[in-house]
Amino acid sequence: MMHAPSHTTHTDTGPSDSQVDLYGPTASILELRSVSCAYEPTRPAIQNISFSIREGEILCLLGPSGCGKTTILRAIAGFEPVRSGQIFLSDRLVSSASRTVPTEERRVGMVFQEYALFPHLRVADNIAFGLHQLSRAERTSRVQDMLQLTGLEGLERRYPHELSGGQQQRVALSRALVQNPVLLLLDEPFSNLDPDMASRMRQDLHALLRRTKTTTILVTHDHDEAFAMADRIAVLNRGEIEQLDSPELIYHLPATRFVADFVGQADFITGQIQQGVVQTELGAFPNTIDGVEEAHVVVMIRPDDIHLIPNKSAEPRIVARQFRGSENLYTVQLPSGQVVHSSESSTSVYHEGTAVELRVSATHTVLFSAEQPPRP
Amino acid sequence: MIAIHRLSVSTLQLAVLATAALILLPLGYVTTLALSADPAVWQRLWATRVPELLLNTVSLAGAVALLTLSLGVSTAWMVTRFEFPGRRFWEIALVLPLAMPTYVLAYVYNYLLGFGGPMEQLWQLVAGPQARIFSPQSFWGVTLVMALDTFPFVYLLTRSALLSFNVSFEEVARTCGASPLRTMFRVTLPLLRPSIVAGVALVVLYVVSDFGAVSLLRYQTLTYAVFQQMTGRSDNQAASILSILLVVLALLFLLAERWFRRKSRFYQTTGRYRAPQRIQRGWLHTGLLTACLASVVGLAFGIPTSLLVMWSFSQEALAILDARFFGFVWNSALLSSLAATAAVLVGLPLAYLASRKPTWLNLGCLQAAYAGYVLPGPVAALAVLVLFLNIMPFFYGTVLVLIVAYVLHFLPAGLQSLEPSIQQITPNVEEVARTLGLGVRETWRRVTLPLIRNGVIVAWVLIFLQTMKELPATLLLRPVGFDTLAIRVWLEASEEYYQLAAPSALLIVLVGLPALFLLLSRDWRAA
Repeated sequence: MMHAPSHTTHTDTGPSDSQVDLYGPTASILELRSVSCAYEPTRPAIQNISFSIREGEILCLLGPSGCGKTTILRAIAGFEPVRSGQIFLSDRLVSSASRTVPTEERRVGMVFQEYALFPHLRVADNIAFGLHQLSRAERTSRVQDMLQLTGLEGLERRYPHELSGGQQQRVALSRALVQNPVLLLLDEPFSNLDPDMASRMRQDLHALLRRTKTTTILVTHDHDEAFAMADRIAVLNRGEIEQLDSPELIYHLPATRFVADFVGQADFITGQIQQGVVQTELGAFPNTIDGVEEAHVVVMIRPDDIHLIPNKSAEPRIVARQFRGSENLYTVQLPSGQVVHSSESSTSVYHEGTAVELRVSATHTVLFSAEQPPRP
Repeated sequence: MIAIHRLSVSTLQLAVLATAALILLPLGYVTTLALSADPAVWQRLWATRVPELLLNTVSLAGAVALLTLSLGVSTAWMVTRFEFPGRRFWEIALVLPLAMPTYVLAYVYNYLLGFGGPMEQLWQLVAGPQARIFSPQSFWGVTLVMALDTFPFVYLLTRSALLSFNVSFEEVARTCGASPLRTMFRVTLPLLRPSIVAGVALVVLYVVSDFGAVSLLRYQTLTYAVFQQMTGRSDNQAASILSILLVVLALLFLLAERWFRRKSRFYQTTGRYRAPQRIQRGWLHTGLLTACLASVVGLAFGIPTSLLVMWSFSQEALAILDARFFGFVWNSALLSSLAATAAVLVGLPLAYLASRKPTWLNLGCLQAAYAGYVLPGPVAALAVLVLFLNIMPFFYGTVLVLIVAYVLHFLPAGLQSLEPSIQQITPNVEEVARTLGLGVRETWRRVTLPLIRNGVIVAWVLIFLQTMKELPATLLLRPVGFDTLAIRVWLEASEEYYQLAAPSALLIVLVGLPALFLLLSRDWRAA
């Protein structure tokens, strides 16, 4: 029944404090103005994408596969021509319908999903690949610095196939960072690592990007990854940005049902506005969207906002329990047949069929008008 | 001893051992013959022929390798990286030269580049009436003919490597600030190197073991010399010494290629990849690309084939299209079907056992069967000839000797399509048939054979068509007066009766086309 809402209040708006700066063209490293990319059967299209990114910021493009997030990344890198709109890098127009500055003149670093380490070059030569205009001595010292920074000392004579997945990723990162790019692009950088390794690399990478103050765009389909890494997250669906906010706002105040569903488990319960409050099967909730009386709405509730109390006279029944180590996720069926989920501590074990009373912490519920069609 | 130990296992095992013996025995005889020769013979050969022959062979292989390298890689690049009208046509047309046996191309070029020939007349229009071009019967003539005939090997392998190339490597190079040209030379070409080298290795093996072109263009190589020793001097011992040298040379090339491939094994890219997109080209570039590709395909296939068609419909040629000509066709077809059937029957147990019971013995037998790979036609003929002369002289001069030589020579080609088709079926489907009550034979007939049928058919057709155009072994071992199409082409072309050779040559080229499409349909999808 008790809840600890302190860290989830809506006043926690770190990055949004400087909203005004963000959209001034001079303050941003990168700016996209209503960018659309040509539709090709093989690539997801993107429509009307606008955002900008400040120096040192880590922005995450989050969405399911096929939502166009990688297309945006490739448009920024200059691999994908834009059909309309403009892309500015350091205040210089680099992409428009009529003009595409070649990738090699953009000074962006990129880490590909499969790293794309040159298999015929040693680690040191891979990292030094983009430094051919420097003297040999300077090149060596830059590579050494980078090896030290990424913890790859001693591996410079190895070939890529002699490295572990995590080491390969760090080489790819070093190769991108060694040229001091104005912007670093990461395309699903953790998807080729096993989960343990991925979470460790995530922490290391985050610390490294902060230390080097690297402006970064990260593409991922994993919301945990986005939450852990990003200052701001842009959630994409079908080639459009559904919401661009801090991770906390994305999770607790999703702008659409799609966002709510994509960034974590959520149940949607129908309700109706009566006398200024939303009446549902689980009780009354405040009418936060100024819905008119009698209007049908949908309430989003996350499993950690629903608490179970065994009560023999209660009608809801536990129909399933999924043990997840740190928590128990219960599936509960309401008398109407509606199913909701509840996250309980790892040690509170109730059997299937147990009658339970549900307590909902109303502070984190989000309302959508019922007319909004659910997005797949 | 091993054979006795395994005797109870199966008759299949015996068949496999017999096959391996059939292949290794002739080789053993040739080697013994060469090693048992009087040192004086070795010395004489070494002092007179060998240095020149080695130099000729190696320099020809080198020059052809360089020429095919540039032709093959550039044409592969054009059809994989650019999009222009006609691209699909050229993609296939570039393979056509493989349907043309070297002796056919050589004889056409003997005419084209010959004294007073069309090329010379053309050149004299430009450079004056006294101007000469290089003779077809020279180093450069042979190099040109061999390169035009074999560059599709490099083209095919480079093309499929380019198609499966992970474009991320190029993109990441661009994000590192590399220009497109630098990306090509520092990233793309180095990564394609294993495929290009494999293609060039095929070309080199082909050149070293070629007999048709060098004999018609009178260019002395080791292979040609083996043939001359056997026919001109009837000196089988000298021939076997040269054969051993030739096999060692071929093995050296093969080992060099293996070594190189092993070194670059890790070049293979893993995981997800995206194929590069073709760059759309305007009419100017289309014109240039089409001109390049048309001249290559024209020189290697278009012009020679049109000449053959023209000659075939000349008065002289039409006059020889009589019962005798169809006798040659029949001889060719008969020999080829016998050889193909024998090779498939011999190859099936080998491939089956090596895949199902990969003991060192079975794998060894399979490897022995691949020995034919490094045996040029005259050497295979010599080996079989020596064997029969020694243990079964009464068969000498019969078709049987020829068939054995063909099997020895073409078994590797057949195995290359039998082996994968057997490896593709999991033993589980045979085992499940056994659990359903079928016996070993029934299982073979109702499960295994239907599943590998396509592989068997492909193997049979490939061997059939290879035998159809085989020249040196047929020349050396055929029964007296038993001529085939290939023999007719060579005999008439040697006498420079261009028109008379044309119908047979044209028929060989036309029959060779289906083989190409078989090979392609196998490789095309994989790429």
